[in-house]
Amino acid sequence: MPNLANLADLAHLHLLLNHFPTIGTILGLGLLLLSFIRNNEHLKKVSLELIFLIALATMPVYVSGTAAAEALKGQSGVSQEAIVAHNDAALGSFIMMEITGFFAWLALWRMRRIGRFTTGLTYTVLVLTVLTVAAVARAANMGGDIRHPEIEGGQYAGLFGQSSGPGFISAAGIKDYVLQHPYVWPTCETLHFLGMSLMFGVLMIVNLRLLGWLRGMSFAAVHRLLPFGLMGFGVNFITGMFFFIAASEQYTQNVAFHWKVLLLMLAGVNYLVLTVYDEAWALPASADAPLSGKLLGASALVLSVGVMYFGRMLPFIGNAF
Amino acid sequence: MLTALAQSAFSTWLLSSNSIWAYPTVLTLHTFGMMVLVGAASMIDLRLLGFGRGIPLQSIDRLFRVMWGAFALNAVTGTMLFIADADKRGPSLIFWTKLSFVALGLVMAVLIRRRNFEGGAEPVVISGAVKRLAIVSLLAWSAAITTGRLLAYVA
Repeated sequence: MPNLANLADLAHLHLLLNHFPTIGTILGLGLLLLSFIRNNEHLKKVSLELIFLIALATMPVYVSGTAAAEALKGQSGVSQEAIVAHNDAALGSFIMMEITGFFAWLALWRMRRIGRFTTGLTYTVLVLTVLTVAAVARAANMGGDIRHPEIEGGQYAGLFGQSSGPGFISAAGIKDYVLQHPYVWPTCETLHFLGMSLMFGVLMIVNLRLLGWLRGMSFAAVHRLLPFGLMGFGVNFITGMFFFIAASEQYTQNVAFHWKVLLLMLAGVNYLVLTVYDEAWALPASADAPLSGKLLGASALVLSVGVMYFGRMLPFIGNAF
Repeated sequence: MLTALAQSAFSTWLLSSNSIWAYPTVLTLHTFGMMVLVGAASMIDLRLLGFGRGIPLQSIDRLFRVMWGAFALNAVTGTMLFIADADKRGPSLIFWTKLSFVALGLVMAVLIRRRNFEGGAEPVVISGAVKRLAIVSLLAWSAAITTGRLLAYVA
């Protein structure tokens, strides 16, 4: 298995990617506000899509950040306290970001079903995005405190307040919880397998329809099942983060994990395209999907089997238990 | 007998070979089969419980074929995994509980197909009895996955 990245690469990647959630959420918020002001439905759709994509991109930001922390371990001139504080703030903002992304997806999905955006959902996304911008800005600022001598100790240090001791969300607290209770890991594993089956069931029925192997149903009818796919993903994202936080050293340098995250990103983009796919949406029960739909369906199945493959291979290609 | 299986050349190869094609591949195929089998079953069950009502039952009849294909794969890979650990799995209560849930899930699939999918006529209303079958099916597969996963930790 070719190596994708070592710890130093991942630390670099973190420094590159960490701008996506910060700039991205501000951009998403700006576009969403503009869409309200101009009362432009198309712009609303674009901003919700952007927010979903930023939520997706935040996943590698968090995991590469953990790798960066490992790369910095034992280096002089780096404050471990600043790293812990940044990690906890980042985890809090990461959770906010994913909740926001979920609601953005839900708004896009509902729009498909009823033909317009509902005020309830779009305003929920707006409020969540404002909160996420604040949380991400705080986390980013604390990240800057880790190794920026021009800021450290200066008037801008701890601009958003430095946390003293573990706050409301602490990665160390989650790690202790998982490792000290022997039932947590097997329970999460079980839920991870259940979530995977549910998610794949949805991917199968929707994408086999696009591929033309399942016939006689309109795309609109199977579209109803998409939230179950995201529900399965939600379960797997939460349980997966428990694994990652509790035993991050098994994953940060695990090539199978790198491939898994990469394929997951592509599968996430695929799912968004599927949710807002105009050509498929118009398909009557008996019609064959266009070539673009078949390519989308085939790639969704290949990518999701790939995610499962690298997940199962974590202990064999890599070093996870 | 169980010990003999566990000490067979096949078991030794599967467990101790460093090849990725031995234990890792068999286990991954077993996981793949599980995902496909339970995924297809859960879609049929959800449809019967009223989600995605616009999907005609006849159009998802082919998912039963997917289920049987995946089950065949898992019967083969499962047997291989059993032989590898026969001395541990043979006396394990959790293992036989898992197999019972798998059997229950398969029986539900046969009953659901017989009552709703055969004969060609599309049922207008899904009866309460069929919905109960769908719920038992979902519970049976969840229990099979739970006990299967537990095998890696307690058995």
